[in-house]
Amino acid sequence: MDCVIELKGVSKTFRDFWLRPTVKAVDGLDLAVARGEVFGLLGPNGSGKSTTIKMILGLIAPNAGTVRIFGLEPRTVAARAKIGYLPELSYLHPFLTATETLAYYAGLCGLDRATAKERTRQLLDMVGLAGVAGRAVGSFSKGMARRVALASALVGRPELLVMDEPTSGLDPVSTNEVKTLIHTLSRAGMTILMTSHLLADAEDVCSRVCILDGGRKAAEGKIGEIGGSLEQFFLSKVGEGRDFKVAEFLK
Amino acid sequence: MRRCRAIMRATALEMSSEPLGMLLTLCAVAAVTFAAAFHIHQFGEPSRMARDAGFSVILAGSSAYAVFCTIKAFRRELESGTLQMALAHPVSRTAFFVSKAAGSFFACCGFSVTVFGAAAVSAVGAEAGWAIAAPKGDISRIWGVSLALNAATMLLPLVAAAALNRFFRFRFAASATRIALACSVAGAAAAVALAQGGGLVPGALGLVRRMLPVAVLAAVPSAVFTAAAAAFAVKMRDGAAAGATGLLALAAVPAIGNYYLADALAKGGSLPWLYVLEAAVAAVPFVAGFLVLGSAFLKGKDLG
Repeated sequence: MDCVIELKGVSKTFRDFWLRPTVKAVDGLDLAVARGEVFGLLGPNGSGKSTTIKMILGLIAPNAGTVRIFGLEPRTVAARAKIGYLPELSYLHPFLTATETLAYYAGLCGLDRATAKERTRQLLDMVGLAGVAGRAVGSFSKGMARRVALASALVGRPELLVMDEPTSGLDPVSTNEVKTLIHTLSRAGMTILMTSHLLADAEDVCSRVCILDGGRKAAEGKIGEIGGSLEQFFLSKVGEGRDFKVAEFLK
Repeated sequence: MRRCRAIMRATALEMSSEPLGMLLTLCAVAAVTFAAAFHIHQFGEPSRMARDAGFSVILAGSSAYAVFCTIKAFRRELESGTLQMALAHPVSRTAFFVSKAAGSFFACCGFSVTVFGAAAVSAVGAEAGWAIAAPKGDISRIWGVSLALNAATMLLPLVAAAALNRFFRFRFAASATRIALACSVAGAAAAVALAQGGGLVPGALGLVRRMLPVAVLAAVPSAVFTAAAAAFAVKMRDGAAAGATGLLALAAVPAIGNYYLADALAKGGSLPWLYVLEAAVAAVPFVAGFLVLGSAFLKGKDLG
């Protein structure tokens, strides 16, 4: 298998100021994502999805195990030249306009001015923000900011797109557009790693999923190989004992 | 190099868009203008107070600008998550840190140039005021033209930036900061041209030229403070980083006497550029040290 992402025995424990362990976010995770796959990382809140993604991006260093992206250390510039990242929240400079934001990230990708300008125009057109290209992103709605962040992730024409909750904050029409975009990018040969709380989204776009629970891998497989719906499968793996005992509280 | 340029440009834009930076700049221009306008002591020289006020404001103001605006720029990157976005792109942590610190320093240089322009206007104005008052035996006052030019440097940016913001959606603080810089430089050129061309102050250009090395010397500590503030901001929160840089500034106070050689300009004297070069060279190890420290802090930091 031509692996784009390879994690072997990866663990991450966060520590406080005195280096005392506070939380074990990921525990001995093995994962392999092949070229061209749309891979879903699923799990309840606090299961280690975002930490795993940040280790893949080189933003967080694992305590144990190895992470390889295209066979390279994720912190190397060569590895990150092939990655596009859409975070869960749209982290954007509020004082920059949409055009300036894309030009900034194009600059970080090392694109020359002419290419950056052309690609900025194309991407703003693609995400439907050409009409507000000159407005500061600080004045954008959540959905518009999400579109700018998505365009920023694609500005370097990455081979691997890492999306943390890609449909978070989007209306149903925009959600559908993002799903269509994921399908289009996947058909064009891009590898996509995404997390989602919305299992229907994962079912619609992912070719394979991994379910995390408490930092460990609870299950992994192709959508078609999982018996029943993904929701039933998910609940059977991580749903037990998670009821809020509302009746007991209301007594 | 393109990556570093993109980071520097965005940082300089961010710092000039910062209302705190704009207020510091306009207050500095006001301090330089009014210290000279309401002078009591002349120390035997009409432009002495104007010059010294300008150098003091460059020294203190550029250091404050470097500390507060640099810390704000770095902390905002860390706390808002934009640093994660940037470092998910093909740019090394060291390149990002050094480029951002360089962008902060360039913005700080913009502040120093603005204040220097206003100080030059005030100094030329004081000489012109003396040339007008001395024959009649009056107490010299700053030249009205100079006051008008510096007042324009304070007010015109606000009015023009408001108009640009209202009609063309330009950023208010960034426009005001840039227009203040342009007004101050243009004001200095106009003051020199009017005073020297009108025969009022024959040595106006020479005076401004003599002021330049001292102004550069007074701005040198801001390079050290920018690098220090950047390094501390990666590791500490706003208040702690400002406190640590403040302690560093206290430690540097005795050395500031050596930097502060404005006295060399008294009675037509000048400061050799070699002194400025020596001061700049002396600052290099400190700047490099803090850049290395800050890069190491950022390299070891988990983001997220």
